[in-house]
Amino acid sequence: MSAFSSQTAIDLLRAAGRDPSTLEEEVVSLFDSFRTPLLRYLLAFRVPLSDAEEIVQDVFLLLFQHLRRDRSRENLQGWIFSVAHKQALKHHARNKRRGERFEPLPPSGDGQQDQAPGPEEQMYFNQQRARLLSIFRALPDQDRLCLSLRAEGLRYREIAGVLGISLGSVANCMARAIERLTGGAV
Amino acid sequence: MNPHLTDRDLLLAADGEPSAHLENCAHCRARLAEIEEMLGGLADARDLASGIPSAARARTLLRARLAQQRRAKVWRWRLIPAAACVCLAMIVGVRVNAGGPRPDARLTPGETRPVTLSEVCRTSQATVVVRDIPADTQAQVLSEYGIHRGRPDQFEIDYLITPDLGGAESIRNLWPQPYTTRWNARVKDQLEQRLHQMVCSGDLDLATAQRDIAVDWIAAYKKYVGDRPM
Repeated sequence: MSAFSSQTAIDLLRAAGRDPSTLEEEVVSLFDSFRTPLLRYLLAFRVPLSDAEEIVQDVFLLLFQHLRRDRSRENLQGWIFSVAHKQALKHHARNKRRGERFEPLPPSGDGQQDQAPGPEEQMYFNQQRARLLSIFRALPDQDRLCLSLRAEGLRYREIAGVLGISLGSVANCMARAIERLTGGAV
Repeated sequence: MNPHLTDRDLLLAADGEPSAHLENCAHCRARLAEIEEMLGGLADARDLASGIPSAARARTLLRARLAQQRRAKVWRWRLIPAAACVCLAMIVGVRVNAGGPRPDARLTPGETRPVTLSEVCRTSQATVVVRDIPADTQAQVLSEYGIHRGRPDQFEIDYLITPDLGGAESIRNLWPQPYTTRWNARVKDQLEQRLHQMVCSGDLDLATAQRDIAVDWIAAYKKYVGDRPM
């Protein structure tokens, strides 16, 4: 699971020295752990995939500089998401100036095949997935981002730090989002 | 009144907030498990729907960019006391005076390679990234300039005539440039950019640009850019 491998990568990084080539390897290791969660988060932020890939590259180049300057290694997961969030905001600001619209969220992928054991289960999983995604997409922006970060394993305080909102706001956003997602199942 | 925790409190409990109620309430634990399962399902669903490609290409790109960043001249901006650098430069033979640091013409007269104007102007501007000069060549340059006692990392091994203007990748075109003096490597970069622009716009011929930067790069800066470093 990504949460475990992310933590392992961070532990490795803590143990690493500051030799640039060692740091490079550690940054790549963190990249391997966090790229997909970051891309998922940026897609939830309505950043197109190609731009999201560029933002992720920037995040890890900044991480390299951050570590090379011997800055804090505490809560690197929160730091990484926080930088990605700021880069996404800049991306939207640039697009807004150019008069471009936000990217619609990616399609539900209903036609994609799972490794489910049978056709009935396959259909059930697909329906569940489509339902979750459609509710997820319809959430207000802040609720969707909170939920996205929580699904990536961030704690409430970290989510509050990334989004720059209070802990209470995070809790409220999450409760609203969970209610909609689980309520829809009834 | 509902005797159970709200979803808000359940999630806070799952986040590490102590809750005696959760430990003793099967209903709340089941609800929390339902929420966690839903969150896991959401992550899986988003993975399938996102079309995220394999990391291999992105990883290769990141590695290349990290290596480039390591070599780039970002370290020029590190703050090292200028006075210490001037003293070092004087010790090791790079001429530093009121006019600024210049290479020793006997060691670094500047050398060019055969190059056409179209090759020089293939890029819209001169690159500012240091080319990967082999470590043993760098060591040889430092040795020729007598840099043994000082810290070699306080100097940049720089091309006198930049390869972007047809400079040769030869030791006779390399010198250790202090990077915290007023006339430093960043200032020389500006000159290189300016000369490249002038050569490619036809305002200056390539041979003149090569000669002027080789003979006295600071004088060339004053001539083509301005009296003072920007």
